[in-house]
Amino acid sequence: MPLDASSSTATVWAILRKECRSEWRTRYGLNAAVLFAVTALTAVTFAAGRMPDQPGMLAALLWITLLFAALSSMSHAFVREVESRTLLLLRLVASPTEIALGKLLFNLVFLCVVEVITVPLFLVLTGAPPVRWAPFLLILGLGTLSLAASSTLVGAVIAQTRSRGALFAGVSLPLLLPVLASGVAGTRAQWDGMPIDADARLLAAYAVALFGVSLLLYDHLWED
Amino acid sequence: MIWRILIFLWIATTMVVALLGAPLVPVLQETTRVLYFHIPSAWVTVLALGWSMINSVLYLIRRDMRNDDHAAAAAELGLVFCIVATVTGSIWAKSMWGSWWNWDPRETSIFFVLLIYGAYLALRGSIEGEEKRARLSAVYSIVAFVAVPPLIFVVPRIYSTLHPDPIINGSGKIDMDPMIRWCFFSMLLGFTFLFTWLQSLRVRVSRLERRLAT
Repeated sequence: MPLDASSSTATVWAILRKECRSEWRTRYGLNAAVLFAVTALTAVTFAAGRMPDQPGMLAALLWITLLFAALSSMSHAFVREVESRTLLLLRLVASPTEIALGKLLFNLVFLCVVEVITVPLFLVLTGAPPVRWAPFLLILGLGTLSLAASSTLVGAVIAQTRSRGALFAGVSLPLLLPVLASGVAGTRAQWDGMPIDADARLLAAYAVALFGVSLLLYDHLWED
Repeated sequence: MIWRILIFLWIATTMVVALLGAPLVPVLQETTRVLYFHIPSAWVTVLALGWSMINSVLYLIRRDMRNDDHAAAAAELGLVFCIVATVTGSIWAKSMWGSWWNWDPRETSIFFVLLIYGAYLALRGSIEGEEKRARLSAVYSIVAFVAVPPLIFVVPRIYSTLHPDPIINGSGKIDMDPMIRWCFFSMLLGFTFLFTWLQSLRVRVSRLERRLAT
């Protein structure tokens, strides 16, 4: 595989478009994630009521809803290829790194769509106090990056195991606990009017480290 | 054989000297003695997980099953020593801070490490085919180790914690009574040897298992 920057970019872009198109045709993953998020929100607001004065609780609920909504369907980017037996064909036209980068970008887009639906709904339904948009979006964005990076790599690993569905959440979640912890701390600090730089720095470092290591490892995901 | 006896004598002697001969730290009182088990096991945890990561990298480069044996064995042992560090830490926390478990940043991060490597073993168990298992586990082990330095070294320095400064602290020196320091470093060395011995046993077992299977 010749390592040409412009043709690699074109391949990654083609894979991203292919992913978006096949997701849009079935909307299987998106429906599952959004449905899960909305149901979880409903359950939470019914059980706990509106709680404008509990930023700690709100931050925890927001991140748990997002994380589980994402985990319920993020593995299928690779699992779908294995189940429809199209992975071999895909590997004929692209290198492992290009495939993984395309899937990573798709996962990012996917997460953003889920968040665009879930987050406003969450803020309205729980009666959350007004957010400070800059720190709120910064924490959310950095968390999303880590989430996408880790689920792309774990998804590719999990797609090759026996119990794909059950294992994905179990294996991803421990890796994402640091993201959950500092995401919750940062979101809460944002509502409390405290500085968020310690949490943001930790999240950014974790996202960069996960992404960097993934880049080195993508080539070893499949046997040549 | 001779090594096994030497390690046993080394740890036993250190333990007797540490429990009977070394003075107590004024703040910690009688609980000073947990120090000789808690910190060495935390040290061996980091050592073992690092060894697992190094062997995973070597496996991906060389594709030698011996590296996979080492990586798997070190991850298992790292998990065991991590449990020891967590339990001794919890006992210490009960007497010093008044509760078994309070989600102090230190407690939280060690618990995350436990879960991450628990997931590593779960993943190993569900992959069929020796070569595939070795390759995918190596990939996961390397990613898992990315989380270890932030959790063990960075988090407790960013968030405020009740846990005292680690041995490698900001002031760059070790505030210990000379006698305690001797016992402590001797125990650290003893635990390190204990780990190397257990590791060699575990690796030999997996090698024998493979020979039986073929």
